[in-house]
Amino acid sequence: MSNKAAKISLTGVVLATAFGVLLYSSLGESLQYYKYVDEVMVEPAAWHGKNLQVHGTVVPDSIGRKDNTLEWRFDLQRNGKVLRAYYTGIVPDTFKADSEVVLTGTMDDKGFHATEMTAKCPSKYDAAPAGPAETTVTTPSGGA
Amino acid sequence: MASLGYYLLLAAFVVCAYAAAISVAGARRRSQALIESGIGAFYLLTAIMGVASAVIVYAFVVGDYSIRYVQRYSDSVQPMFYKLTSYWGGLDGSIMFWVSLLAAFGSAAVYVNRERHRELIPYVVTVISVVEMFFLFLMIVHNNPFQTFLTETHTDGAGLNPLLQNFYMAIHPPTMYLGFVGLTIPYAFGMAALITGHLDDSWLRAVRRWTMISWLFLSVGLGLGMIWAYEELGWGGYWMWDPVENAGLLPWFTATAFLHSVMVQEKRGMLRVWNVCLVITTFFLTIFGTFMTRSGVVQSVHAFGDDPELARLFTIFMITLVVVSFGFVIYRLPLLRARNELDSWLSREAAFMMNNWILLFSAFFVLFATMFPTLSEAIRGERLTVGPPFFNQWMLPIGLTLLLLTGIGPLLAWRKSTVLNLRDSFLFPVAMGLLTGATVVALGVRVWASGICFALSAFVVGTICQEFWRGARVRQRATGTDVFTALVGLVGRNKRRYGGYVVHLGMVLIFFGFAGEGFKQKEEAQLKPGQQVAVGDFVVRHDALSVTDDGQKQMITAHVTVLRDGKPFAEMYPAKWIFRKHEESPTTEVAINRGFAQDVYLVLATFDAATQSASLAIDINPLVNWVWMGFGLLALGIGIALLPDAAFAFATAPMPANAATTALIFLAVVLSQGVVLAQETIPAVFRSPIERRVAEEVMCTCGCRLSVANCGMMNCHGKESQLAKIHQYAAAGQDHDAILATFVREHGGHDVLMRPPNRGFNRVVWLLPYGVAVMALLGLAATARRWSRRDVAAPAAAAIEPEIDARLENELRDLD
Repeated sequence: MSNKAAKISLTGVVLATAFGVLLYSSLGESLQYYKYVDEVMVEPAAWHGKNLQVHGTVVPDSIGRKDNTLEWRFDLQRNGKVLRAYYTGIVPDTFKADSEVVLTGTMDDKGFHATEMTAKCPSKYDAAPAGPAETTVTTPSGGA
Repeated sequence: MASLGYYLLLAAFVVCAYAAAISVAGARRRSQALIESGIGAFYLLTAIMGVASAVIVYAFVVGDYSIRYVQRYSDSVQPMFYKLTSYWGGLDGSIMFWVSLLAAFGSAAVYVNRERHRELIPYVVTVISVVEMFFLFLMIVHNNPFQTFLTETHTDGAGLNPLLQNFYMAIHPPTMYLGFVGLTIPYAFGMAALITGHLDDSWLRAVRRWTMISWLFLSVGLGLGMIWAYEELGWGGYWMWDPVENAGLLPWFTATAFLHSVMVQEKRGMLRVWNVCLVITTFFLTIFGTFMTRSGVVQSVHAFGDDPELARLFTIFMITLVVVSFGFVIYRLPLLRARNELDSWLSREAAFMMNNWILLFSAFFVLFATMFPTLSEAIRGERLTVGPPFFNQWMLPIGLTLLLLTGIGPLLAWRKSTVLNLRDSFLFPVAMGLLTGATVVALGVRVWASGICFALSAFVVGTICQEFWRGARVRQRATGTDVFTALVGLVGRNKRRYGGYVVHLGMVLIFFGFAGEGFKQKEEAQLKPGQQVAVGDFVVRHDALSVTDDGQKQMITAHVTVLRDGKPFAEMYPAKWIFRKHEESPTTEVAINRGFAQDVYLVLATFDAATQSASLAIDINPLVNWVWMGFGLLALGIGIALLPDAAFAFATAPMPANAATTALIFLAVVLSQGVVLAQETIPAVFRSPIERRVAEEVMCTCGCRLSVANCGMMNCHGKESQLAKIHQYAAAGQDHDAILATFVREHGGHDVLMRPPNRGFNRVVWLLPYGVAVMALLGLAATARRWSRRDVAAPAAAAIEPEIDARLENELRDLD
């Protein structure tokens, strides 16, 4: 019995370790930092090339779109710090001046290049019962 | 009216406390009178909550906007149906709805079991009452749905969020809640068994059906949520690994594990501690899921309330729950010793244990990944997130392993399988799997996950068919009827087992649909009237834009023609609705053309009324509808397992016929919009069709892992150079395959391609569903014929002689 218990616990430990290592190593590639605009703008260069999600508010009158394309350019701000952002694709219904958005993408000298945009309307959305009350637009095909 | 509601809640709390206390007292003093009083109090609670629900619904119907909750979630122009469903449109109401449902469910469970499980009932009442008290307390001190405005007066409401004014969203939450609430019942019985020490398997028998019912509601709830996300949110998919979705999935994993491991305890007396722990964990996860999404602890962009007060209350409740529940488990460990040990890893119980471990690991993983931002903030002080790709990366192999086990489990014998019966039972299913796998490889499918999924699906279907076939043959020999009657009789005799197989078949369909995701095609285009764009085998042409108004909302509709093979395929009308009350957030009305092979999914993203131009998001989603059909089949399977014995009072009973009809109607409704066939592409707007197609298949070199056509990086140099190359090769007269070959040659590997050309594979995808559909139709026709004929012959089948019955029983046992 104790022999058996030892075997089982050994198997358990080995499996748990294996999964732990796998989990940890696979985490590396898909990790994204979640930052507010002002946090990022303290030292923008430090964030170049990193997977990043930035959270901020769309500056009014900063939204521009190239005619007949889906290429957007706008500014995000928080606590006075401003970040220029670029996004190609379809924006959520709630994307507009003063709306809060979270962008996923990477940074370089020119600004933030978003591959994904999630926006929320701060006032009207309230806890939807057990369903996601958000609008997300994803450039790569998301979901399972 | 508001104060009436509030007093009702207070009264409910008092009654609840009384029920909890008096039941314990009654059980300890063995006083039947006190126990009866506790049960009575619990029924009274149900009645009070019924009245309170009626009050809030009445307030919604008459539009009593002095109540905050009513003002916030409804308005006068809202259709009556949505006025009713506004009850659970927000947090406060949904807690109250939860309490009412739990009271009703609890009363039913107590009523059904009050004689059979006399010793458990008082503690069942106590446990449910304590859970109710927590939620009632929450409402009274923190989230009172009857709260009124102090000074302001409102003549109209703010209106329910338009996104929630959708049929599926109206019925999804109650279904989900029924699942969540239902899982409290097994917990209550499990705790009662632990407290009283009556830890034989009788409590399991009491909760088996309740768990199945809750599991059914939970599964259907998840399915409805997926349909809602698919139809209403308009991003082209149905699952995002959003915290809210995950909250519903967590208890589903553990409940599924419990439904399987409970069989091991029944048959072999093993896993007794495990089962109790699963029941507790499942209940804990229902509470934790609610906590996670409501309290703001997992901060997501969705404005789910950031509510530290609520978080504190929930934390206290959850810690108490864990300490008390597992405390009792440890205290009762001596009574929970297993009666048997595992004889062999080649046994059904071992397969069940594997299945349990994997399901539990899934729950752990999803929990970990969902909580990851919060965890990383707590540990590293830095908020890190993981996206859907991380979930998919892990859940894909996990899901495929589970699918494999679904096929293996039923083929193994209890205790120990011999080599002989392994070979005997695995031959056909493995052959099916290999055959499908070979076909898939021969047709050149290189989306490996989908390919494996198809092969595994065939393997599982092989297993299930073989199980039905063998059982039916045995029964046919024993009863001397035809195969078909034998089959129905077989299912009637062992409803749980064969109902379970139907559920497995449903899961196979769901996985089949998931596999289609690997071949999804996506395009976004800005189109002026008359312009068109090619996506996969379809050409989408934007014809015109119209603006209409119906009083409640303004509707901007794009008129789109979808062509296939140069011939009109469908007229579609994606739209944007701007509700008067919610002008800042227009809703997206997706246009979907459904088919067995794929959905054409159109979203009107932005529009310019002046130039009539529109930007469209176009998704071709292969096999999506199989997911919904899978959920239908799953519900049918549980329905079979839950049928009372009388319903099968033999093959003549009308019940299965109705079930078949219902399933047929369900299929017809889901697929009424037609079936479609494959073809190829023609003109595109921006580039030549060849270039466009190649651009979708060649990877961008900027490191974004997206195709050249989809790369969203603004200053991406990789995109330009790759596009220039494509243009150059196309101009040189190379065709599609030649260009791809050049890219592969220059790059020195296939990884420059996004995905393999999928034409060959599509044939399988298209053929398989039709094959299954034709077989299903033939089956149904046979059923109909059989049942219409059997009216006369009925008594013969019903009168099975006892000794034949016993023989069948023996042979069936041998099959196990």
